[in-house]
Amino acid sequence: MGRPFPMPPSTLTEALERAAVHFPDRGIAVFDSRGRAHQRRSYPEVFAAAQQAARRWVGSGVEPGDRVLISIPTSWAFLDAWLGVLLCGALPIAVAPGAAMGAAASQIRKIDGLVERIGPRRALVTAGFQRSAAMTSEAARTLSVALTPDELAAMAAGALSSPSPKAADVAFLQLTSGSTGLPRAVSISHRAAIHNIMSSDEAIGAPHGGPAHRWAESMVAWLPLHHDMGLVGTLFQSVVGGLDLWLLPPGAFLARPRKWLEHLGQHGATFAPAPNFGYQLCVERLDSENRAGLDLSNWRAAMTGAEMVRPETVAAFCEAFIPHGFRPEAFRPCYGMAEGTLALTFDVKGKGVRTRPLPHGASSSTDLTEIVCVGEPIADTEVRIVDAGGRTVADGEIGEVIANGPSLFSGYFNDPEATAESLREGWLWTGDLGFLHQGELFITGRLKDVLIVRGTNLMPHEIEWLAESVTGGGGALRSGAFSVARGAAGEEPVVVVEVQERDPEKLRAMRQEIRSNIGRTLSLPVADLVFVRRGRIPKTTSGKVQRRVLRDQYLRGEIERLETTDGD
Amino acid sequence: MDITQKALSIVAKISGKDAAALKPELELVADLGIDSPKALQLLLDLEDELGLEISDEDAAKMDTVGDVLAFLTPA
Repeated sequence: MGRPFPMPPSTLTEALERAAVHFPDRGIAVFDSRGRAHQRRSYPEVFAAAQQAARRWVGSGVEPGDRVLISIPTSWAFLDAWLGVLLCGALPIAVAPGAAMGAAASQIRKIDGLVERIGPRRALVTAGFQRSAAMTSEAARTLSVALTPDELAAMAAGALSSPSPKAADVAFLQLTSGSTGLPRAVSISHRAAIHNIMSSDEAIGAPHGGPAHRWAESMVAWLPLHHDMGLVGTLFQSVVGGLDLWLLPPGAFLARPRKWLEHLGQHGATFAPAPNFGYQLCVERLDSENRAGLDLSNWRAAMTGAEMVRPETVAAFCEAFIPHGFRPEAFRPCYGMAEGTLALTFDVKGKGVRTRPLPHGASSSTDLTEIVCVGEPIADTEVRIVDAGGRTVADGEIGEVIANGPSLFSGYFNDPEATAESLREGWLWTGDLGFLHQGELFITGRLKDVLIVRGTNLMPHEIEWLAESVTGGGGALRSGAFSVARGAAGEEPVVVVEVQERDPEKLRAMRQEIRSNIGRTLSLPVADLVFVRRGRIPKTTSGKVQRRVLRDQYLRGEIERLETTDGD
Repeated sequence: MDITQKALSIVAKISGKDAAALKPELELVADLGIDSPKALQLLLDLEDELGLEISDEDAAKMDTVGDVLAFLTPA
């Protein structure tokens, strides 16, 4: 506390160097995949290991400006590799390393598709992935650039030229779901990343003024590093602010949520972010017996974002954990997306979660009637609510959220059309719906068709093509996927599928196959699978499935279901 | 209880299904609703309660109840 903080760094590279100089006693502890043991390194050690990794990347042929995919679980190997690519002046791209159980084949297709589109010089993958990929004929491109962490460690070190990136240069690419079902790579400049980190730090703030990192000693986190909230909101927030980062792999938290809360009580004044479902999981998995011995009184800021903040989750979490020292005002709702580096708005008041009723006559795409305030725009950032014609609407009226400021992305990598669609005259069109009230933002739903299940974004196409591959859609038979809110559980996926088949027994078999396809590929249980006759799914005149209309019909019970023998 | 029955009781507890109804061909995600948080809980419960280690690579091959049992009792 009270450490002198130098002028903000201008690049992430500089931030890493400075952490080594200014915060030599602080560092990062990374837990094993089960959350049992950890290995800690001080910031000087983190920097030295990243430099060593950078030399090996150079030895493997990586040059400034190259892209490098990194698809391994949270580990020191991940951090060294990612930071090493950064120090080479190349662009790291973190990719989810695949589901915990099952879905091995779909991971190979996903990585190979990315390799084709992004053209990385190298791709860091697990040894298991490499073995599986070697057994198929579909992954030749990936195998030609793939390296395992052991292979990287065995590379002869090359000479690191230590390029000094400029603030406007792209620092890394962040994957996000694209409207065509293929992921898009968001280009984030050093300037945007540093701006977002400094502004978030300022928004949290210390109680007597000044930046938040003067008030906290540590960050305890489990968010995946391929997610913007994990990479920027925990890793770089800690590096820039000189916080001790305690990093659990996401699986260790999902398996044993208590681990996160235990560590929250052990490392002094702490920050810890999570999407709504993380807080919900703590409530559901920890009964009163399992909460015994927890001390959450040092938890200074509990950021909640990346999906809709649900008032009932907040209430249940408070009820369960106030007896263990949790302070409700620690909750800091925030709102953002990869295209804004991370946060666009942040609750600066620190008065706990505040809500307003959903405006009259508004059709929310959630079941919420009370909407959580996600705070005010971060520094130098403007947020407006506009109608379909781009005109600003009155305070309290719902429209699309658009934002402008230094944290915005530079564009989608190699995709000028998508960039022009999202970024218009400097404004990011978020595809989210909301309203402003006295300068603070409230998110009510979204225009874009994305499903957000447990903090992870899914595009409907990813689900629909799996359904249509069973019905033999081929354009004539459509399907539509969307999510519906199921109380505290958050969003759950529903799929409506057109079929020619009428025989209930055959439909039953088809249902099983579709569920299996989606389960094995996306690790996603479908909450409801509805068969309808051909032509029943609403389409635009140009033949595009109108998912929001379909969803409204579903919620009003207006869909005529075809019977199957299992009655589901 | 042998290891198969212990494993079935763990799958039953996490999925909320009856252990006797857990046929080998049932799929963990599609049939038993085991989403990724539950899958990770299942992995750690299997490890902790049966005293074994399951590598990420082996876990990635488990799609059905039968796959889990086959891992525990190799032919």
